[in-house]
Amino acid sequence: MNNIASSTAPGFTPVSADSVAWLGTGPVPAAPYYDPAYYELEREAVFRHSWLQLGHVSELPEPGSFIRREVEVLKASVLLVRGRDGHIRAFHNVCTHRGTQLVEAESGRAGNFSCPYHRWSFSTDGRLLSAPDFESFGLTKEECALPAIALEICGGLIFVNFEPKISLREEMGPFADWLEKFPCAQATQFSEYVYEINGNWKLTYDNFQENYHLRFIHPRTGGAAVSDENPFGYPVKYGFHGPHRTQTIWSNPNVKPTPLQAISFGKGAQFAMADGLAGPHARDYLALFPNFFVIGTPTQSFSHTIWPLGPERSRGVIRLYWKGEDDCASRRYAREYALASARDIHAEDRAVIEAGQRGLSSGALKYIHFQTQEALCRHLFNNVNERVEAYKAELAGGAA
Amino acid sequence: MSALLPDGFAALEPFVVRWAVSGTAARAARRGASSAEEREAFYGAAKDMLLPALAYLDGKNLAEFDAADNRLMDMMLSLAHVALAVEGLGNDEPRHAEMRRHMRITRSPAGV
Repeated sequence: MNNIASSTAPGFTPVSADSVAWLGTGPVPAAPYYDPAYYELEREAVFRHSWLQLGHVSELPEPGSFIRREVEVLKASVLLVRGRDGHIRAFHNVCTHRGTQLVEAESGRAGNFSCPYHRWSFSTDGRLLSAPDFESFGLTKEECALPAIALEICGGLIFVNFEPKISLREEMGPFADWLEKFPCAQATQFSEYVYEINGNWKLTYDNFQENYHLRFIHPRTGGAAVSDENPFGYPVKYGFHGPHRTQTIWSNPNVKPTPLQAISFGKGAQFAMADGLAGPHARDYLALFPNFFVIGTPTQSFSHTIWPLGPERSRGVIRLYWKGEDDCASRRYAREYALASARDIHAEDRAVIEAGQRGLSSGALKYIHFQTQEALCRHLFNNVNERVEAYKAELAGGAA
Repeated sequence: MSALLPDGFAALEPFVVRWAVSGTAARAARRGASSAEEREAFYGAAKDMLLPALAYLDGKNLAEFDAADNRLMDMMLSLAHVALAVEGLGNDEPRHAEMRRHMRITRSPAGV
């Protein structure tokens, strides 16, 4: 084990402790990773005011296209709709009469939305079109439009915010321009796989923003990410803007692919080059607060969203983005291989995250620890906790 | 008698029943339910046929594939899954299959 005792070796220089010391170096309280009371505070302090990635523009290809997305952490059902004017809007999926959920279908195309209960009917831009015996309510139709939710699109990705304090692009700063250059910005379709996990959303998310675990959890699938020079596969650099963060992935220049791996990723690379997907962020991972990240690699660009389902349960949604249809057998094959290989790696993380949750939920630990190369985990916790503490102070002020 | 596979790929016919599987999730599931012997036999027979098969299939539009072409396409897509097991995971595949079971494929350009 001597060869992995140190994170430094000739040929690779890890990010220094000094450069991320501003995040703090002390232990981090364990309770926020399992405590139901803390989770309740997060729901309001973090998720109600954050930009949440809910979809991709390719899911709404034409006027009338809609998708329904459940945001369990806010007990909300959201309707994303492309209107006749081509604009994509977000609404609460509730009839303004008595709150009945308007749309049951997960996706589809509609000229309008009619409530199953009393047939109130709404346009794709949220206006109330008609309601039986509407005169009896003494209301105007304008008062009864579907409740809108703030929506912004960046890099082809649809974000909503239930109670925004700042615009998405303002909050993202330079990262908005980055995201516009990621493959997802040009994507016209995607592959997707989904998992549920007995893990707190931060604990789950943290697994995917540190490489310290790679050689232990991915000994056979993660070979491209480690070497003698960089035994833990640590990133080349980290970056921060407000609550968001990045890392630039290091890759082993001497990795020897397996025979079909070479063919499959070789074909994927050829298509990515031909499609103009090799942008300036091919090795960059962009983590957008609170629960979304996307990687810009042109051959296997994927996003991962971790949705809280409870203090100790989450859902992960992973999407690989593709530009254009499957126009030939080789392209279809390259995409199938890319999906299967990414899924192989992600599948390996779930069990160890659940083991971590069991340990934390036992209450045995008051604190957990992050090292320098887990700086992104610390940054997430700091930003969550800052908002939770501010919200607690607000509640205390209101009660005083 | 019409061939199960296009000309030149008859050597793969013994594997059609098991590996000409339609749908990405179904192919992943077939890999997960297969034995090491089945995977190794298929991989051994198909790995050198991958490039010739794709070259042949690339000569046609996907929409114009006949039944034999579709079988060959589906087999090469199954090979993508099987190769990960044979080349990468080796004897760790059974444990890995259980972990993968939780990762539900819900969307694929090739159809779920």
